[in-house]
Amino acid sequence: MSAKPTISESSPSGAKKGRVLLELALIAACFLVMAIFVRLYWVVDFCIFCILVLSFDLLYGYMGRLTFGHVLYYGTGGYVASLVLVHLSPNPFLAIAVGVASGTLIAVVLGSILVRLRDAPFALSNLAFNQIGFWLANAGLQDYTEGEDGLSSMAESIGFLDFTSQPVAFGFMLVCMLLVFWLLRTFTLSPYGVMVRSIKENEERVKFLGYSTYFYKWLTFVVCGSLATFAGTLYALYYGFVAPNLLNPFGNIEIIFAVLIGGAGNLFGALAGGVVFKLMSNYLATAISRWELLMGVLLLILVFRFKRGLTGYAIDLRLRISRRRAAEEA
Amino acid sequence: MGKGKRDLLDIDGIEVAYGHAKVLHDVSLRLDEGEMVFIVGRNGAGKTTLLKTICGLLKPTAGRIVYQGQDILGWPAESVARQGIRFVAQEKKVFADLTVKGNIELAAYASGEDVERAVNRLTELYPRFDEFLNRKAGGLSGGQREILLISRALVGDPKLLLVDEPTEGLAAIVIEEIFRILDEMKARKVSAFIVEQNLSVVSQLADRIYIMKEGKIIREIREKNQIAKTDELEGYL
Repeated sequence: MSAKPTISESSPSGAKKGRVLLELALIAACFLVMAIFVRLYWVVDFCIFCILVLSFDLLYGYMGRLTFGHVLYYGTGGYVASLVLVHLSPNPFLAIAVGVASGTLIAVVLGSILVRLRDAPFALSNLAFNQIGFWLANAGLQDYTEGEDGLSSMAESIGFLDFTSQPVAFGFMLVCMLLVFWLLRTFTLSPYGVMVRSIKENEERVKFLGYSTYFYKWLTFVVCGSLATFAGTLYALYYGFVAPNLLNPFGNIEIIFAVLIGGAGNLFGALAGGVVFKLMSNYLATAISRWELLMGVLLLILVFRFKRGLTGYAIDLRLRISRRRAAEEA
Repeated sequence: MGKGKRDLLDIDGIEVAYGHAKVLHDVSLRLDEGEMVFIVGRNGAGKTTLLKTICGLLKPTAGRIVYQGQDILGWPAESVARQGIRFVAQEKKVFADLTVKGNIELAAYASGEDVERAVNRLTELYPRFDEFLNRKAGGLSGGQREILLISRALVGDPKLLLVDEPTEGLAAIVIEEIFRILDEMKARKVSAFIVEQNLSVVSQLADRIYIMKEGKIIREIREKNQIAKTDELEGYL
């Protein structure tokens, strides 16, 4: 077998690497500007939520597997990080490492079973495991999780890294989000990412080429679970408190909503959707008592009018403008 | 085994059912190395089902599929593909989001073949692809897609090609292109099972023909003069 070739259109080499760096700088700039105009603690929350949405988009937008159980990993990360901080060590990095390891382990085990499924059985089986996790946090492991009362923790300061300082927390979460974006961007632009997109398009055809799609689906599931767990650990570090609500299956709807707003299968869409969803829910919640109703109406508009989300609409608009210009020049 | 050639594929008494509906009844056929064998029959005769069964998409309820002396019955599609059997489905579906080159590279990546060589083969088969290499495959015409699919299936020098209705729904000028490519494959002694309704193509390229009807092989034609009689073959369509 010859050396592993790269897929030319997907390889993040040379100019494409430079483009990814430029994208990272642009995203960082957008969040920094947002931090000036929007309450800082909101933006920190946006960063954590965006990591969660990015991880979900890989599974749903890129691989075409809709899950209603993604917050299982988010909650696991939050709880395990908190338990480490309370019982083991107040070191935030240890809490992140153990938290991510635990979520990854769950994803490794569940993924080996669940990726054999697709469509509704996949979505609902994930929901079932999420529900079990929710129950464990709420009642089953009450002795450890403090049940509905929730679990408080405090991470120690390491050098300048003090999570009680809003600017420091913002900087840390922003770096974490950019890291996840870079990781996923590299992943989706690699031959591996092309494979994942091809599985979404037609799994059978990928098999005809001799690929074992099971392995790729499983690995993607594990990566998504790990990143969602990572987001959960950051939540625990920042808020110093986790409650069963973190594992509430309704949380999955928020993530799906965010992905639909931004446009599935586009990492920029995941970021845009995450921010827009959080901005809307935060502002609407302060202005309207039943803001969920308005969100429902917005979702309907999105589904019927902007099927490919904000990024899809922006791409179409750019195409229309360039075609019009070309027609005018001709 | 025919004329000193080696059996590449030997199918013995396979039966396939969709639920309770049996669609293949005791189907037996064989293919020698380097042979181009066509399967002809009416719609619903079970031709596509037969190809899908060989490539591992459907599991027979009875019978044996022996490929290079190994029973591959029940093997998953990816394992069958790794043994050098490639299936070109009827739907002409490429990876629309990838470029033409990306489609070839994906196959090269799986088979371990040098990408340059795989892309060169594509442009040799159809020089016009030179201009299309970096275009999204989703924008290709039906004929171009079929050529891309056949080229993609040839990546990694497969031992057996299964091609389902390569000329179906294509304009006459494109059919000529496909014919030329199949003819070149024949000259290179690529072993292939091809399901085809275009009898002009069949009569000029077939080493042998199997006629299928209602899920059974009802006739095998091996004589050259019989293969050339398209009017007689028409009676089976």
